[in-house]
Amino acid sequence: MPKVLTISNLRKTFIEDKRVLEVLAGISLEVGEEFISILGPSGCGKTTLLRIIAGLEKADSGEVVFHTPDKRVGFVFQSPTLLPWLTVLENVALPLRASGVRRDEAYEKARKYLSLVGLRAFEDFYPRELSGGMKQRVNIARALAVEPTLLLMDEPFSQLDPLTAESLRSEVLDLWLYGVTTVRAVIMVTHNVDEAILMSDRIVVLSPRPAKVNGIIEVNLPRPRDRRSPEFQKLEDRIYELISA
Amino acid sequence: MLLLQELLIATALSLARMFSAYIISLLLAISVGSWMARSRAVESLLLPVLDVLQSIPILGFFPAALLLLARLLPGGLGLELAAVFLIVTSLVWNMIFGVYTSLKALDPSVYDMAEVYRLGPAARFFFIYVPACRESIIANSLVSWAGGWFFLTSAEVLSLGEEEYRLRGIGSLILDSFSREDLAGFYSGVAVLLAAILATYLLLWNPASVTVLRLPLPGVPAVFEVVKSAVGYAWGGLAQVLTSLEVKLGVVFRLPRPIKAALLLLAAAAVAYSARGLSLEPLREAAPVLSSFPLELAKSLPRVGLVLLLSLGLSVVIAYFAHLSRGVSMAVSMAGEVLASIPAVVWWPLLSNLALSHPLGPSIVMLIVYLQGAFWYVYFNLIVYGLASVRKDLDELATVYRVRGLPYLRYVFVPSLLPSLATGLLSAWGGSWNASIVAEYVDMGGRTFDMQGVGSLISKAAAQGNVAALLATSLALSLFIVLVNKTLWVRLFRFIERRYGGE
Ligand SMILES: Nc1ncnc2c1ncn2[C@@H]1O[C@H](COP(=O)(O)OP(=O)(O)OP(=O)(O)O)[C@@H](O)[C@H]1O
Ligand SMILES: [Mg+2]
Repeated sequence: MPKVLTISNLRKTFIEDKRVLEVLAGISLEVGEEFISILGPSGCGKTTLLRIIAGLEKADSGEVVFHTPDKRVGFVFQSPTLLPWLTVLENVALPLRASGVRRDEAYEKARKYLSLVGLRAFEDFYPRELSGGMKQRVNIARALAVEPTLLLMDEPFSQLDPLTAESLRSEVLDLWLYGVTTVRAVIMVTHNVDEAILMSDRIVVLSPRPAKVNGIIEVNLPRPRDRRSPEFQKLEDRIYELISA
Repeated sequence: MLLLQELLIATALSLARMFSAYIISLLLAISVGSWMARSRAVESLLLPVLDVLQSIPILGFFPAALLLLARLLPGGLGLELAAVFLIVTSLVWNMIFGVYTSLKALDPSVYDMAEVYRLGPAARFFFIYVPACRESIIANSLVSWAGGWFFLTSAEVLSLGEEEYRLRGIGSLILDSFSREDLAGFYSGVAVLLAAILATYLLLWNPASVTVLRLPLPGVPAVFEVVKSAVGYAWGGLAQVLTSLEVKLGVVFRLPRPIKAALLLLAAAAVAYSARGLSLEPLREAAPVLSSFPLELAKSLPRVGLVLLLSLGLSVVIAYFAHLSRGVSMAVSMAGEVLASIPAVVWWPLLSNLALSHPLGPSIVMLIVYLQGAFWYVYFNLIVYGLASVRKDLDELATVYRVRGLPYLRYVFVPSLLPSLATGLLSAWGGSWNASIVAEYVDMGGRTFDMQGVGSLISKAAAQGNVAALLATSLALSLFIVLVNKTLWVRLFRFIERRYGGE
């Protein structure tokens, strides 16, 4: 499998008014063309890891190396972070316009990805006129529209109601499996073991803070996956054991 | 005919001054405000400075600042720039604070978003910073615009002892006609001024507030729509050009450090150069004036206290009726916009009959001018920010349980208003000291009213051309105001914030 990204020995310590908080204690990970989930107890440093990969935060040591010529990253934030004064279309097109793409071209591309998430008809709406699930779809369309190599998602479904979350999960999975986007690797942070098994090729389990890699689990179940199958259940048990270890 | 022509030209010139000052203030507010919100260092440096600048009596520093600018840029241009600069100083502070606070209140994940998707400074400016503070800019413009007119005359006619500067404009025209005892000129001047103020509100600010803030204000939206689409068009084009330029050149629209330092040095040199003519000799003249400062302060302090109390009571009562009835709200706001805009210096001649007819007349006129400089800050803060924060759910609760009249005022209405009331009172406190300078002493065409007090002290120093005394008393007053801000107001604010601010 071609390599997309190598994360080697990331360390991060926050220092705030003399309080020293070690968050990442050496995280290493090879990322191929795959869907990876990161699981870990609350506050262990998952978001911090994702932010370092996205370049939002600097690591104290260690590095993140892309092996692809194109290093573009899409980021699906936990809350949609849409700008309330821009329409859906303008929100999705904003990163493109900021990177110098011409206006009509940016809009055209934005429309394409809005269709992929099923929101083409809502392009002239403002965020406040959308439901939570629709806003999160726009968030995803915006991340895809920059045509990234790597897609990072921080608990993308945690703020949605269970039904909406479930349908959005399968939509994202479909987009990924059918290869209709430029994304070659996905790293998703989640609290939800079930969701991790359902979606990913590999699951990285982190220890409580400071985070280390407790174990990496390959999910070799055939897709579409059945939550009620015994293999699914067995994997779930193994992961819970690894988390509480 | 000649009068009409003169009136129109003068009004056009004054309007041009106001609009230039407004545009400069707008640009300053957006750039300084967003800079403060982004950089910790700039924030900690500028916040206290602005805090002081916003509450000191700017009028006291007008003559000296004007002299400085007039020397720096000789000829009519220097004077014109000086006038615009002085109007800017009466517009800009609350606008900067507005931009700063609304950017501070922005969800921090928006900054993450901008970072992840590599929005450069230009893209952030056009797509995030400016739209994010649109509401506060409009709200503050509403108040600032009135503040600008209030001080317009002081910027058009300035005398410092023998030196007198006069700019052609509606403010100077009104004062000139009055001192020439040309009553027709005086009253038609005031009428045209009122019409101009009314027009700017009806055609521009009110429709803008209706669109952006959903405030109930009377207005004629047609002109605003044209301006809006024109500005929107130009703005969109500018955004397009600058963001793509930014990407193409890979430049950061940021000045490198050495250039910044050089600019600062240049500014300092310019100030030093223009100050070279001011000798230190007159410092000795300042001493006797300064020694009477405490006594005069003691005379003015109760007046300011009374004005604040009156402003507080009146504005809560009026705001209450405005809250109950849309019609009252529209009428009072409109009246407020015009009344608050009438230049400070015009009030004395306008009410000269009252001042002369009764022994208490001068005191009443003084109080009115004082109130003009204070009341509207409280009132507009209540109307724009306060009433919006009388929470719908609390109001509905009150309706359901039939809480009305006094209990409603006491337990729902006033507590909801307290945060904006405190902000308004703080501005009014600074504003009334500023107003004291025009309220306590006036010299119009030979007739002089001297009501004593600090304001009168400062005005007399200006009239005698005693620059040192003028600066010394203004500084002393500023010091006193800042001291009270730092001790009394800060505590009051903390108390209200803890007790009544949010949940
Ligand atoms: N900028 C920062 N400054 C100081 N401490 C921080 C900062 N960002 C995160 N932390 C701390 O680092 C720790 C890890 O935070 P992080 O958000 O990465 O955890 P997480 O695993 O994503 O948690 P959750 O599951 O709740 O989302 C937390 O204790 C947090 O308080
Ligand atoms: Mg997190």
